[in-house]
Amino acid sequence: MSWKYDVVVVGSGIAGPIVARNVARAGFSVLLIDKKWAIGTPKQCAEGISIKVFDKYDIPYDKRFINREIYGAKLYSPSGYELELRYKEVSGVILERKVFDKMLAYYASKAGADVLARTEALDVIRKDGNIAGIKAKHEDEPVEIYADIIVAADGVESTIARKAGINTYAPPHEFDSSYEYEMLIEGFDPDLIHLWFGNEVAPRGYVWVFPKDEDRANVGIGIASDHPETAKYYLDKWLKENNIPMRKILEVNVGVVPVGGFVKELVKDNVLVVGDAARQVNPMHGGGMAEAMEAGTIASKWIIKALEEENLSLLQNYTKEWWETDGKRLEKVLKVRRVTEKLTDEDLDLFIQLLKGADAEKIASGDYGEVIKALLKHPKVLMSKRRLSLLKELL
Amino acid sequence: MPEKIKIVVNEDRCYLCGGCAGVCPTLAIEVHSTSWEFLQDKCISCKICVNACPVGALSAEPLEVSE
Repeated sequence: MSWKYDVVVVGSGIAGPIVARNVARAGFSVLLIDKKWAIGTPKQCAEGISIKVFDKYDIPYDKRFINREIYGAKLYSPSGYELELRYKEVSGVILERKVFDKMLAYYASKAGADVLARTEALDVIRKDGNIAGIKAKHEDEPVEIYADIIVAADGVESTIARKAGINTYAPPHEFDSSYEYEMLIEGFDPDLIHLWFGNEVAPRGYVWVFPKDEDRANVGIGIASDHPETAKYYLDKWLKENNIPMRKILEVNVGVVPVGGFVKELVKDNVLVVGDAARQVNPMHGGGMAEAMEAGTIASKWIIKALEEENLSLLQNYTKEWWETDGKRLEKVLKVRRVTEKLTDEDLDLFIQLLKGADAEKIASGDYGEVIKALLKHPKVLMSKRRLSLLKELL
Repeated sequence: MPEKIKIVVNEDRCYLCGGCAGVCPTLAIEVHSTSWEFLQDKCISCKICVNACPVGALSAEPLEVSE
């Protein structure tokens, strides 16, 4: 079999269907493929997302994929100090990714894109030194998909971008290993997400409880992927130490998350890389859905321009625009991550206590200036030379 | 030179999450929708995948050199 489209998109997670939808809306032919036989399943996600993305990226606020509305977060330090950031309004939601991803692909197909599940991209097709499309497999049937533009939205593996010659390598320290149970759990305010920090709790990362119901939540962990112990080991240890019964497990979710090695060149000739495949994830919390939506939006804008003006060199503007906007923001977040990962348990205890006096809304919105202000207000006796030098790294 | 190794998967533990393929510097692991594949000729024996696996499904074994 051999097909021809203006654009082929590999991977139907978050970035892929956003690109496919936007390009189809502009009237171009698009094929969106995914190796999964059910788009969205299994999930590899804690499923929390800001309420803002629905308007911003034109996604319906559809109750079919919204499990629960969330009003803020509660942070726990290693010795049990707590910091609660609670809003009056809904600040985020816990999605049902299995439904959400499938609906994103549905919106793309309604906009005119073709969508084909159970179709794995195997390699690129090279012709006269250019990439003319991709070789794929639907069930056991080989397919050649020719396209003017190829979008690699194939997740952490980033296979197609790499086969096309885009360098998506990042060192192991720039990934988190994650493990999660969707389970019944009680005793945590179901209107907040809960995060536990500590070098014995989750080296470099955190344990999370993201409520999907009053008594049901995604309970997971992320740790640095170069740590010798497994993510599963640390999550099971945390559950045991906190006497949380593990008798009602509905799902086990596993994945590796890029947390800082953003891809420098996001475009090579007619191939673009977006989302996890481009390492476009927030390095502090490891969330990448909003980032994928943003990158997908920028990428689709330049794909449409390039097709309209029949000038593929315009695609390079995606790299430029992403790095000038969201890339710049994420670089700053990465700088914060590189400092926070040096904090000792004692530092974490102290900082959580001190941050109680800061403007919670500003902290939650990522205004780290407010964090530093709160810390600097404190008597110098708590501020050792080492702590001050860590703070200075942030400025 | 590090010792040449092969990567072995414990299929009962593996979730086919793709993480090992993601951290592999040389595309020596391919994770398909129903199977896990190791490409010996591409492996550089760095063992990054072994550490990164969230469930400890991968291990490194010495590669038997054929005479």
